[in-house]
Amino acid sequence: MGVWFGLAIKNLLRRPTRSILTILGVTIAIAVLYSLLQFQVNYEKGLKKELGALGAHVMVVPKGCPYEAATIVLHGGKWPRYMDEAVLEKVKSVPGIAQTAGIIMDAILDFEKNENRIFMGIDEDYPKIRGNWHVQGSWFTGAKDEIILGENVAKLEGLKVGDTYYLKEKDCSFKVIGILAATHSQDDGFYFLHRKTLQKVFDLPEKLVVILVKLADIEQADKVVAKIRTMDGNLNVFPLSELLSTVGNLVQSTNIFVLAIVFIAIAISAVGVLNTILMAVYERTKEIGMMKAVGASRSDIFKLIWLETLVVCTTGGLFGVGLALAFAKVIESFVRSALPYASRSEALIGLSLSDSLACVLFSVVLGLIAGWYPACHAASVKPMEAIRTE
Amino acid sequence: MITATGITKNYQRGAESFAALKGVSLNINEGDFICLLGPSGAGKTTLLNILGCMDAPADGDLVIAGQKVVTSGRRQLTDAKLDRFRRKHIGFIFTDFFLIPSLTALENVEMPLLWSGKPNRERAKELLASVNMDHRLNHRPTELSGGEMQRVAIARALVNNPRILLADEPTGNLDTKTRDTILDLFDHLNQQGLTIVLATHDHEIAERVTQVVRLNEGRLEG
Ligand SMILES: Nc1ncnc2c1ncn2[C@@H]1O[C@H](COP(=O)(O)OP(=O)(O)OP(=O)(O)O)[C@@H](O)[C@H]1O
Ligand SMILES: [Mg+2]
Repeated sequence: MGVWFGLAIKNLLRRPTRSILTILGVTIAIAVLYSLLQFQVNYEKGLKKELGALGAHVMVVPKGCPYEAATIVLHGGKWPRYMDEAVLEKVKSVPGIAQTAGIIMDAILDFEKNENRIFMGIDEDYPKIRGNWHVQGSWFTGAKDEIILGENVAKLEGLKVGDTYYLKEKDCSFKVIGILAATHSQDDGFYFLHRKTLQKVFDLPEKLVVILVKLADIEQADKVVAKIRTMDGNLNVFPLSELLSTVGNLVQSTNIFVLAIVFIAIAISAVGVLNTILMAVYERTKEIGMMKAVGASRSDIFKLIWLETLVVCTTGGLFGVGLALAFAKVIESFVRSALPYASRSEALIGLSLSDSLACVLFSVVLGLIAGWYPACHAASVKPMEAIRTE
Repeated sequence: MITATGITKNYQRGAESFAALKGVSLNINEGDFICLLGPSGAGKTTLLNILGCMDAPADGDLVIAGQKVVTSGRRQLTDAKLDRFRRKHIGFIFTDFFLIPSLTALENVEMPLLWSGKPNRERAKELLASVNMDHRLNHRPTELSGGEMQRVAIARALVNNPRILLADEPTGNLDTKTRDTILDLFDHLNQQGLTIVLATHDHEIAERVTQVVRLNEGRLEG
């Protein structure tokens, strides 16, 4: 078998540029495939993790686009729909609820710098729902000029507990009374004000953007959701399981689209392989005839040409996975800029043995398919006619 | 060893059919060294290809080493069986040597062993030594002279231990001195029991060989 490989590789090296370009085509197609496979898995993982970290089971938001609502909850942002704070009291009174947290949010967007500062208005209830909240310094004492910073924000702004944060856009100064220890969630990137403070500073009196609800018994979710849905106030009520599948569906539908493009890329690379091998077969018609004349059978020639195709495709597959891993960071930042739901707590493209294997296996199958016709053609070369041709 | 009876072969030239062989009957015994002599276009290559199972006749019978290959113009073996049969019994040599340019002399000789599934470097080396080419094992064809290339080609033709060697104008591209060394080599191989059929239009060669069969316009003479 080693000798066969040697022969196949020697044949490919006769036209190094052509072979390398063909391999490159496969490499790129497989790199894209690997990235997509990884993305699909890790994206969902990240989403689940983040929803889990949210600590809530049900989310109540003003009526509007559910995807937008999901983004707001997971990533923060500006949303021009509000509900009255009175709704919170009504929700609290629904039986079967263990904990609620009413949140008001606003964002200051700087399109030039492409920077968003997201302000979250919360009260004592928020840490209770989130769970792993540890504030260095202290919690809001009730004064109107206090701010707690997420870990990343504190680093970015270079602020410590006791410093003053000046919000230029609103001409307001805040005292940094606490810094949230790293939670490895979106919270690390938020500016936290007391709800009342935010409502005042951003001029949103008695308004809320979302109410997070934790249930006493998750089995009772349907009942509680149904009950909240009967309340008036123009509300959207999402159990998070539903939200997960909603976002999941959205991503899936884009994924199917992207996958279609990937398969076109793969098909193009397969045609490239077929073309290269077929050209090599045409060029070597005489030689193939001669090999037959000195004892090669049809199946020998078939095997040799098939093997050459396999070498091209498998090399491309291996390099493709390598390329995807080498450029994981670049691809990732591109995907993130294009896709708002992507979680930051999970790498989108990582090393996965099973996905690598799947990609390489796929490239092998690709080679088997692309090599079939050229190999058949080569096998059917008639030795005497081939030798006669000049 | 080879019995051919009433072999015909037609080639299509545009609309008309051209008869290259018009009923050739020939009996070749084990250990024969036969010179197939005839002018250009006589049909020597055509006949040799048919005897070597590389081409099928339009009509006639062909029996090689007891195996019916063609009966009344009909193939008696499947493609795969014919491939194996040919590899086992017949070695081929051509005017233009037909060595693979990307492989060394040694690799070229070893290649047919690859096809039969048992690569064997030592055997290839032995054969190259037997044609006095052991000093050029790792040279590529472009680095060899014509006579050297033909000796490599002979070694390659013999590597599967065939009982029949078919040589089509093997010295056509060589000078007379080199030609004689190649012919000496053939004599030597023939003395060891190899059956050889050599096609040529060179009368000087015919004078050296005892059994001469004349072919002209697709027919055997005399
Ligand atoms: N594939 C083909 N198609 C059409 N005609 C052919 C083909 N092969 C051979 N012929 C013709 O058949 C005849 C015999 O050809 P062949 O090659 O057997 O002659 P030859 O005796 O080997 O000649 P040379 O000494 O020049 O090699 C020639 O007239 C040739 O033109
Ligand atoms: Mg000829």
